[in-house]
Amino acid sequence: MLEISNARKTFFKGMPDEKVALDGLSLKLNRGDFVVVIGSNGAGKSTMMNAISGALLVDSGRIVINGDDVTTMPVHARARHVARVFQDPMKGTAASMTIAENMLLADLRQNPARLRRGLTPQRREKYREHLSYLGLGLENRFDTQVSLLSGGQRQSLSLVMAVSGEPDVLLLDEHTAALDPRTADLVLNATLRAVNALKLTTMMVTHNMAHAVEYGNRVIMLDSGKVLLELSGEEKARATVRDLIGHFSVKTDRMVLGV
Amino acid sequence: MIDIFNAWVAMIPATLAQSLILSFVVMAVMLPFRILSFPDLTSEGSYPLGGCVCAMTLVAGAPPLVALLAAAAAGFLAGCLTAFIHLRFRIHTLLAGILITTMLYSINLRIMGKANTPLFQETKIFGWLADVGLTDSWVKIVLVGAMILLLALALNLWFLTEHGTAMRAVGANAEMAEAQGINVWGVTIGGVGLAGACAAFGGGLMAQSQSFADVNMGLGVLINALAALMIGEGLIGRKTIQRQIAAVVVGAVVYYQLISVCLAVGLPPGDLKIATGVFVLIMLAAPSLGLKRAGAQPKECFKE
Repeated sequence: MLEISNARKTFFKGMPDEKVALDGLSLKLNRGDFVVVIGSNGAGKSTMMNAISGALLVDSGRIVINGDDVTTMPVHARARHVARVFQDPMKGTAASMTIAENMLLADLRQNPARLRRGLTPQRREKYREHLSYLGLGLENRFDTQVSLLSGGQRQSLSLVMAVSGEPDVLLLDEHTAALDPRTADLVLNATLRAVNALKLTTMMVTHNMAHAVEYGNRVIMLDSGKVLLELSGEEKARATVRDLIGHFSVKTDRMVLGV
Repeated sequence: MIDIFNAWVAMIPATLAQSLILSFVVMAVMLPFRILSFPDLTSEGSYPLGGCVCAMTLVAGAPPLVALLAAAAAGFLAGCLTAFIHLRFRIHTLLAGILITTMLYSINLRIMGKANTPLFQETKIFGWLADVGLTDSWVKIVLVGAMILLLALALNLWFLTEHGTAMRAVGANAEMAEAQGINVWGVTIGGVGLAGACAAFGGGLMAQSQSFADVNMGLGVLINALAALMIGEGLIGRKTIQRQIAAVVVGAVVYYQLISVCLAVGLPPGDLKIATGVFVLIMLAAPSLGLKRAGAQPKECFKE
């Protein structure tokens, strides 16, 4: 479904503060995989997400989604394949537009805009139904401006928008990190329900090791722009929080030793 | 007092016609600024560009409507150019507009070959209603009023379509719009181009209305349009897209009547800029003085 081969990305090339963010990263996701991505700050997680979504173009390497080579495609051209929920709830929605209009925009990701009426009664009905799965009552505030929603509600809306239209790849970029614990739980549960129900190929970045242990069928750990550790199947099922944190310390020691 | 009132009433037809022509420019300011979050000054250049192109097309013997469409096409290009240099070279939108406006001055001079082109012999669009038995001013009011009404209705419908919603999304959150598959460059260039076309169309109408085009006819038109927009938004609000569009026309009409009252009171024309400035200031200061309309946005201000 998603295949990254030998992706490289260097920031500030040729400058004293040159930083290799992706160092020949290769990764393959099968249809329906739920991969949890962990790694310390600066390991290349965000760069990888940006490279997949198109927000950054890789210096070399190839990215193929569902058989389409998207390596050189800009964000909007990849949108048909990739949906993304950001950490910042403000990023995923248009604040000055209504909930219904935001849902329509998400719909346009799969069906590019044409010169026809946007919010038809049929569509409104469909969106209402999608929103009702959240159980937040957003379906009753259909024509409310998104700016009036709380951060948790906005993030829930972003999630519904991202999973609507069943994208080939769903990218979750620490999407519950900015929420209070209870709301984070709510959004995460909604995420899991949607991912399971729609069998979405998902990549979730998290700093929460308990989540990494509990969710998904694979976990990968990035370090210096490469996959340092990959657990799947039985191994993944047996892994504990302690195991995962242990791998972080390997890196820390290396940093201390300056290797 | 009665004298002042009579003087004002006597000017209503003329000022109303003027204000309806101005409303095209107000639309040209509103579209990028409010819909695309792209504060743009290009109208100051595309308005006279429209006047000049329209004049030269008329002089060349083209029918008046063709001349207006040629003007709009030229304005469209000017707007596209502003948007393009902003996107491609990351120049601030205001600076991009100033650059294009500055360059357009020379281009306008080149187009006409001189600073002023009289159009007294040419057939104007207002000739369409010459035999209806209305005065000159009322012919303009009816014709231009119908045109701006048509534009407002068309824009209203446009913003209900999928494309129109996508365009609003670009202004609301460009990053999110892009992630939803909307081509932000295309929409921005097209939208600012559309605004340029509106301003140039207004310039063409003005040239036909006053029977001449002048390279300096754009001087100060932008601040007039901005004042009109602020007044219109103060009165109508901008909660919905319909209100936002209605505010353009209402603002233009009310603004010109306010200026007309100032003239009727006996204010010398040189002082009108102060009056304009005061109107804008009042409209912008009203919310923080606690004079806001119920339901208006509390932190309204002219950002950037």
